[in-house]
Amino acid sequence: MATFNVAQDGPVNALALNRDNTQIAIGGRNVFKVYSIEEDSFKEICNLRASKSNLNLSFSCNDVAWSSTDDHYLATAATNGHVCVWNLTKMGKAMQEQDYQEHKRTVNKVNFHASEPNKLISGSQDGTMRYFDIRCKNAVAIFYSNTESVRDVQFSPHIPHTFAAVSENGSVQIWDIRKSDKCQQQFTAHSGPVFACDWHPESPWLATASRDKTIKVWDLSNKPTLEYTIHTIASIGHIKWRPQRKYHIASCALVVDCSINIWDVRRPYIPFAQFNEHKDVASGVVWRGEPQVFLSSGRDCTLYQHSFSDATRPANKANPQGVSINNKGDVIYTYRISTNNISTKPTGLIRLKTISSLADPLAVSAKSSNTLSNDQFHQATSAMLLFQTMLYQDTNCFYALATNYMLSGRSFSEMCEHNAAVAKDFGKSNVCVIWRIIKTMYSEEFYEPTINHSYGEKYCFKMQGMNFPNDYSNDDQRSKVGENCVQKLNAGDDSGNLDTDIIDHVPAFCNFSSYNNFKFGLPKGDFSFGENELDIELDALSIDFRNSLQNSQHLGQQQQDWTLPNEAFNLRHEILDRSPPPENFSSHYSPDINDECQQPLSQFEDQVPNLVSISKPLEKVHWDPSNIVVDALKYHATMGDIQTAACVLTVLGERRKSLKTLDESTQEHWLLGYIELLNRYKLWNIATEIIKLSWLPSVSQLNQQSTRINTNCSQCAKPLQRIGWLCDRCHSSEYALCSICHQVVKGLYAWCQGCSHGGHLEHMQEWITKHKVCPTEFSTTITNNKILCSAKFTKFYNLNRF
Amino acid sequence: MFEVQEINAEHKDLIHDVAYDFYGQRMATCSSDQYVKVWDQNNDGKWSLSSSWKAHSGSVWKVTWAHPEFGQVLATCSFDRTAAVWEEIVGENPGPGERGTRYWVRRTNLVDSRTSVTDVKFGPKTQGLILATCSADGIIRIYEAPDVMNLSQWTLQHEVQCKPSCSCLSWNPSFSKIHPPMLAVGCDDTSAATGGKVFIYEFSENSRRWTKIETISSITEPVHDLAFSPNLGRSYHVLAIATKDVRILNLTPVNDNNSIQSGITKLDVQTAAQFEDHLSTVWRVCWNITGTILASSGDDGYVRMFKMNYINSWKSVAALKAGLPTPPISQTARYIKLGAISQPREVPWH
Repeated sequence: MATFNVAQDGPVNALALNRDNTQIAIGGRNVFKVYSIEEDSFKEICNLRASKSNLNLSFSCNDVAWSSTDDHYLATAATNGHVCVWNLTKMGKAMQEQDYQEHKRTVNKVNFHASEPNKLISGSQDGTMRYFDIRCKNAVAIFYSNTESVRDVQFSPHIPHTFAAVSENGSVQIWDIRKSDKCQQQFTAHSGPVFACDWHPESPWLATASRDKTIKVWDLSNKPTLEYTIHTIASIGHIKWRPQRKYHIASCALVVDCSINIWDVRRPYIPFAQFNEHKDVASGVVWRGEPQVFLSSGRDCTLYQHSFSDATRPANKANPQGVSINNKGDVIYTYRISTNNISTKPTGLIRLKTISSLADPLAVSAKSSNTLSNDQFHQATSAMLLFQTMLYQDTNCFYALATNYMLSGRSFSEMCEHNAAVAKDFGKSNVCVIWRIIKTMYSEEFYEPTINHSYGEKYCFKMQGMNFPNDYSNDDQRSKVGENCVQKLNAGDDSGNLDTDIIDHVPAFCNFSSYNNFKFGLPKGDFSFGENELDIELDALSIDFRNSLQNSQHLGQQQQDWTLPNEAFNLRHEILDRSPPPENFSSHYSPDINDECQQPLSQFEDQVPNLVSISKPLEKVHWDPSNIVVDALKYHATMGDIQTAACVLTVLGERRKSLKTLDESTQEHWLLGYIELLNRYKLWNIATEIIKLSWLPSVSQLNQQSTRINTNCSQCAKPLQRIGWLCDRCHSSEYALCSICHQVVKGLYAWCQGCSHGGHLEHMQEWITKHKVCPTEFSTTITNNKILCSAKFTKFYNLNRF
Repeated sequence: MFEVQEINAEHKDLIHDVAYDFYGQRMATCSSDQYVKVWDQNNDGKWSLSSSWKAHSGSVWKVTWAHPEFGQVLATCSFDRTAAVWEEIVGENPGPGERGTRYWVRRTNLVDSRTSVTDVKFGPKTQGLILATCSADGIIRIYEAPDVMNLSQWTLQHEVQCKPSCSCLSWNPSFSKIHPPMLAVGCDDTSAATGGKVFIYEFSENSRRWTKIETISSITEPVHDLAFSPNLGRSYHVLAIATKDVRILNLTPVNDNNSIQSGITKLDVQTAAQFEDHLSTVWRVCWNITGTILASSGDDGYVRMFKMNYINSWKSVAALKAGLPTPPISQTARYIKLGAISQPREVPWH
């Protein structure tokens, strides 16, 4: 069976099949035709509205019905209240055999009795139903529904002489055709107008469809009971049970939805099948006596035959699973519970067996997938599983590192060392190594020369005994030292200037005993503070030693043996004069650099054996680690360890300027990424710290958004724009009084979120340590306020009022 | 390792989506039964139902959280051809000794689609409060709430015609300014003849339009889900795709002269990994918050997890499965390692 259609001159309101499902009659405002249904097309047999001149409203059909006993008879319901009976065997005007002009308003529905010939019933907008014998000129019986309008009438296929009528007030009535005085049963089915009903072909069920977007199935065998409710997306104008499929019903919407939906009443949320051929809403559906083919008419002026094989199955595309991972790494998983095992135990066993023995496991998927057989369609249930991760390592680690990292306030090497220790403590040895390497590469002695190309000069001064006040923060100072040196040295090798400059910035710590523990000559990267040790020392040594590590290291080197290993001489060969020898060189050089340098320098070795006067910078020896550092950071960022990348960048401070291959947008990307991650873990303080320490305006401005709080005068509600404690309109500052000392609060004002009373921060703090309720007592008249006031303080806000 | 716990969702039909909020302490589920449920985690880690309401008059396909900066806001999309934005409200006048009851109100209903709305996603926070939807007829719509305090006003900013039957979309969540807003859209159209099923769209600042910059021609099977990896600091984008297998693509912006002149990014698309472990249709892919672990679920009933190792190659690291489907309640997860290995490709947890 194929899907095909035929276009009409106007919208089609209704359609009806003949007894043996070979011909179809369609009716509309301007359409009234009979087609025979061929293999893949419709063939017009008869056009009852052939003459355009005939504008008789009796021809404008709301509904059309084909007698199920006599193939010659058609009945139509007209918008002008006429019910006409047509005899297809006759010609011309004679075809219209009867024209009942009894209804006062539009007739909505006509219905032939399924077995008794000549019996016809109509339902009208005037609230009545009329029972006709088509051989008689007038209605045999009139049924008054006592409602405004009857939208559908249907003879019961099960109970003789019975028909159902539905009305716009939401009620369903069951009538006995022989008793026109009173209906047998009446019940309210819907909260809106009921537009259609349909008796189930076998079961004692009546389906009703309504504007409330539901289709309800009622069991009428005893007292009407609601069996199923289908929720649809639009008002339903027409419904029809699918033959031979007990639970399937077809529906067409009255508005919005152009598709024809076939529902399984047991799964009332999603259509079993959907037909989307119509371009406008469908007005009617008739099944061709079998479940695979049906016809439909539409407002889009078409008549369609649909084949079930062309249906779309929305449920098949519906995603049956859901997965989500949260911050901790917990996985929530929802999935369709397989119905295979539930439905039939034996088959389930067989399947299990097949699965294990199957060479191609793909066969498994076909069974558990969404394309279930029809009888499993309705068995749709999901389970939700939470896989709680026991591997908190990553999360905890992130959390711990974020909270314990030191990003500012200490010297660079100190921070690196601290962070390395933290990383090691939490098992991140690779991160620890990064910090150590960064420290080695960028700590003062190694880093600065890479910029200023001068090494020796700094160490030619005797620094013991000098004490300098260090009243600026370490971080700033360090960068200043660096910058100053760069400036001075770039200006020329004027050692005189340099002397004073460096002295200014290099305090000495001859009494700093803890640093005497240094093993002289060891690379600094191997030196490490214990976490607590560092704190104690620094606390004890206080502000004067903020520069500690940097300087202490200088000191340490000075205290070592001044006899230098041979390598040191080699390295300085290119430096021809001026500065005294860089005594501590050997201890810092990594083997790489040595190897690199030795080659070009070897030629000088014999010529200049003594180096005391060499001071010119040796340019070639300076290996710039920045590319490698950038690569390392990028690697960490790529691997999702944005924490390391962002923290290293932050700690590097001004040194990051040497990372020339790392553009600002990447830096910004990393910082924002890290901030986002911190926010996810609710580490707002640390996120704020990162923002504060940021060197990129776009990041540091994040802190300045939405920081303004505006207050209104509590008496006249005028916004307080000028100052927070004096209203310009009422010239009063009464509302700004402290609830405790009754003085105007200037500066920090703390208030309760619940009752909005407040006052000086200190006063309020003191009060709530002793009391649980608001200090403000009102006169008894303001009961509402009093209740609030006697309530517990909910939450305090602080506002700085100026 | 994982501890498994079943939560009785009591949805009356299939659950189509589940989403954690930004902090991972709330969860929303949506189902064909037209209900959306919100779950809260208490301090003991137990999940309890916080709210449940009928959200649509059709199956609710997807549910997604907005960034908490905008409040407690959810978006849903449905078979009923609408997408909706919901906000949680704390009720006024709490009773004595009780906290105000919380409930969700519909702030807006986006009714522009003429077919089922198959996916809805909030855009990256940096773009403001924006929402992308895609529908079965292949139209991508971008909505914006110009005033973030007024969630009831959304304007339809862009309508982009894509191929019919879009099934899923994903925003590129990159924080980098050099990455313009980017969307990936997948289609679940079943015919292989229609070519690529994944499309990458980019918003061009110059033309103020969304332009298709790439069609992933290597994927011709229906696509059920796709997800950009959270990009916290990568220079390239990683896109995971659920189709007949799990596919991981690296999308690297190429900065050649052409792309700079035209203002349209050219992407170098590399398949980083392709996993057929599910041996069946893959329905979902999902990243952890750092974009280091990918979870996928398929018709085989497993949740499989993949991780990139230090040499940038992806490896399967875990497969999770509940106990037998009947009875559904099981105390422990069955790991492949412990349970019977019925498929040789299953990789145990290491």
